Amino acid sequence: MKTLARRIGFYVIAFWAAVSLNFLIPRLMPGNPVDIMLSKLAQHGPVTPATRHSIELLLGADSSQSLWSQYVSYLGQLVHGDLGVSVSLYPTPVSTVIAQTLPWTIGLIGISTVISFVLGVGLGTFAGWKRGSWLDSLIPVTTMFQSIPYFWLALILLYLFGSVWMISPLNGGYDVYTTSPGWNAPFVGSVISHGILPAATIVVSSIGGWMLGMRNMMVSTLAEDYIVTAEAKGLRPGRIMRTYAARNAVLPSVAGFAISLGFVVAGSIVTEAVFSYPGIGSALLNAVNANDYALMQGIFLVITLSVLGANLLVDLLYAVIDPRTRQRG
Amino acid sequence: MKVLRPGRRARRRTVALAAIACSTALVLAACSSGGSSTQNTGGGGGTGNAKNSSITIFNGSTGTITENFNPFMSGTALQPTLGVIYEPLYYYNLAEKSDPQPLLATGYKWNDKGTELTITTREGVKWSDGQPFTAKDVAFTFNLINKTPALNTTGLAATAKAVDDTHAVLTFKENSFTQEPSVLGNQAIVPEHIWKDIKDPTKDPNVKPVGTGPYQLKSFSAQSYSLEKNPSYWESGKPQIQEIRYIALDSADAASAALTAGQVDWMSSYLPGLDQLLKGHKELSYVNTPALTTSIFTCSSTELGCKGPQTDPAVRQAMYYAMDRTQLNKLAGGGFAGEASPTLLLPDRDKDWIADSANVTAPQTADTAKANALLDAAGWTKGSDGIREKDGQKLSMTIQTVTGWSDYISINDTLKQQFKAVGIDLKPTQLAWNEWNANETQGKYQLSLDSIGLGASSNPYFTYQGKYNSANTAKVGDSAAAGNFARYKNATVDAALEAAGATNDEATQKAEYAKVQTEIIKDMPYVPIYINSTLTEFNNSRATGWPTDDDKYAFAATWKAWDNGIVLKNLTPAK
Repeated sequence: MKTLARRIGFYVIAFWAAVSLNFLIPRLMPGNPVDIMLSKLAQHGPVTPATRHSIELLLGADSSQSLWSQYVSYLGQLVHGDLGVSVSLYPTPVSTVIAQTLPWTIGLIGISTVISFVLGVGLGTFAGWKRGSWLDSLIPVTTMFQSIPYFWLALILLYLFGSVWMISPLNGGYDVYTTSPGWNAPFVGSVISHGILPAATIVVSSIGGWMLGMRNMMVSTLAEDYIVTAEAKGLRPGRIMRTYAARNAVLPSVAGFAISLGFVVAGSIVTEAVFSYPGIGSALLNAVNANDYALMQGIFLVITLSVLGANLLVDLLYAVIDPRTRQRG
Repeated sequence: MKVLRPGRRARRRTVALAAIACSTALVLAACSSGGSSTQNTGGGGGTGNAKNSSITIFNGSTGTITENFNPFMSGTALQPTLGVIYEPLYYYNLAEKSDPQPLLATGYKWNDKGTELTITTREGVKWSDGQPFTAKDVAFTFNLINKTPALNTTGLAATAKAVDDTHAVLTFKENSFTQEPSVLGNQAIVPEHIWKDIKDPTKDPNVKPVGTGPYQLKSFSAQSYSLEKNPSYWESGKPQIQEIRYIALDSADAASAALTAGQVDWMSSYLPGLDQLLKGHKELSYVNTPALTTSIFTCSSTELGCKGPQTDPAVRQAMYYAMDRTQLNKLAGGGFAGEASPTLLLPDRDKDWIADSANVTAPQTADTAKANALLDAAGWTKGSDGIREKDGQKLSMTIQTVTGWSDYISINDTLKQQFKAVGIDLKPTQLAWNEWNANETQGKYQLSLDSIGLGASSNPYFTYQGKYNSANTAKVGDSAAAGNFARYKNATVDAALEAAGATNDEATQKAEYAKVQTEIIKDMPYVPIYINSTLTEFNNSRATGWPTDDDKYAFAATWKAWDNGIVLKNLTPAK
């Protein structure tokens, strides 16, 4: 119980620090939203001093407010769950933008992270169990895919599958031409067919790490005395592999998996940009380009929360599955 | 729209699944033959059939789309709000020299002092909810702006009154001839019966827009929205295309792939190797409407705090003559750029406004002799390293542009070579857009590569007022967002602009602009390079009647407000 309280205390402090940095970092960037909006307007039409005045009034950008009082009101809003109004998408609230985009990101990146983990750990288990089989030669290939810059791999696959062979959609989250969002079969089918290629690129580029890690852990676990004992007892090989070897070998991978789940939200910018996927990563990219502090802060908050949440989950899970970690303290 | 038969759809999915299975098993080569036989329909952009004709537009929106059809928020409202759903009183075509075309108004008249504008509104126009449009709506719109400073983007100070159902009178406090294009051509008219009940017009996203335009909102989702034909549109027989869909794409690569796959009918992107790209696609065409003059902005005034050799007019003049514009167009402009004018006007459209015919276009080849002579006369002498100097100051300047703007980056690199020949040392730097923009508005730069935007009308006043009037500048360190980034200050120019703004007599204006042109060519605070191309790509298989080089009835770019509505209502379904 004491362990738990201490862990949670640590997370509260980490959360406060993250929130404060979220507040500070966007404000250290050059330019302010009013000027940026004005310059964008000037590309399309006339801009006068009056335009500046009207945009200042519209955005409520009161530059006279001190940083400290901005910070206090920011914390106050956070407590009430109010993330503010997006500047670049005025007058849409930040929470609306996040609610619109987050499901797509979690759906695509989340599912492909799970697939990659399950597939990688599964293949790694077999590769470690049957050392020297053809599965071993798969490892250099998968690590090669991991070492290719992701955006390049994604662009090549999109070009081949989308433009040359034309078996995969080119962009978007669903077929906007013939389906409309909702719980209907054509829409769900369209979401799935649009998700396959981006998901495949993520799996292909990340599976190598899981596989290699799991294989090596299997190899060292198989050298343990209790495996020899289990073999001597005459247990079936399948049972030894699953219950004795894999179960122990998978522990470090579980920790890594939880962390990578936390980064699901943050790690999606490139995928979404290449496939024009309507997720939170492309929303973040647009927010940065438009100096949209409120939107940036909202998205950073979501990232912070998910990473901290995933860490907390691992901490708690570890205390359950591995008793050694709660011994000291 | 092509609807996939169930069997085919199922097959397509299995092929895709098989491909995934293959790619995860990493035997890509073995899978490649299976896929090529299946044809991608990709949904398609629509069909050319008149009854259910539809087209798809990509207008540069990226990521997720949020609902905003508030016509007063020109910066953040979804682009078809202005021109397609809501209409102004008149349409100003900036693509060629032409008179304003009447839309919701049929006539207007100023009093002699320029303080009272009487607008005659069109009869027989209906809002898309069936209510009649009258002069009261016009009066309501301008009064709403007048009493809501946050909506007043043009500095309009006018009270309006509807005299009867077809006449509205706008009363200004002072001579306001220069407000004409923003009143007539840049303000969407909104229905009084709806907007009088909207509590806060500065915060309302107006999700159910009711306008007079050729199209009305049909459906909206965060990735795409579509408009359908307004059946009661006032111009009979228009529009002919039934449905328009807008989509979001994240990159130029995605846009180019969607165009060649036939998923987009209308978009404006600079696509490298465009001719090559379109070669195999007979249905695709493009139009090039150069409009934005790419120029070197200089921080020109020492009085306002600018520092560096570019504060010497001779240096700016020398840069003007030392550049080889033909080479720049070839290397950076893709050969698509138009010839710029030292008067900063558009030579084709504005020829009549340029007083001296020698100033219609800038020299297209480098005149190093003249550039050298100018620098010699100003006291810049060549040092041992070939770089000129004066009073211990080297003729070396930094020029900023934005990271990733590949054409601008190659302009800078080419200019560096060209300027070296006359002893000018150019140091190109690349910055993030935000920083580049902040430097420009605050004057914290020496040279900056940027472009001159379009004005409210083709009258030179709107280019000159913003870029050259000292009222629109500020000291270095303060924001000059209104447009005079060069910190240019010249009393003759200010006086001439004031005189030109006080009249609507074109002959008088022309005489005043002649004075401005003499001064700015002498001082050259913005050094024009070329008129950057605006490439717009079309798919002619579903709709025809797009603007062409011969028929510029509207500015073709998808991002141009108002013009969109004009283009869309003039399209006809392809046979």
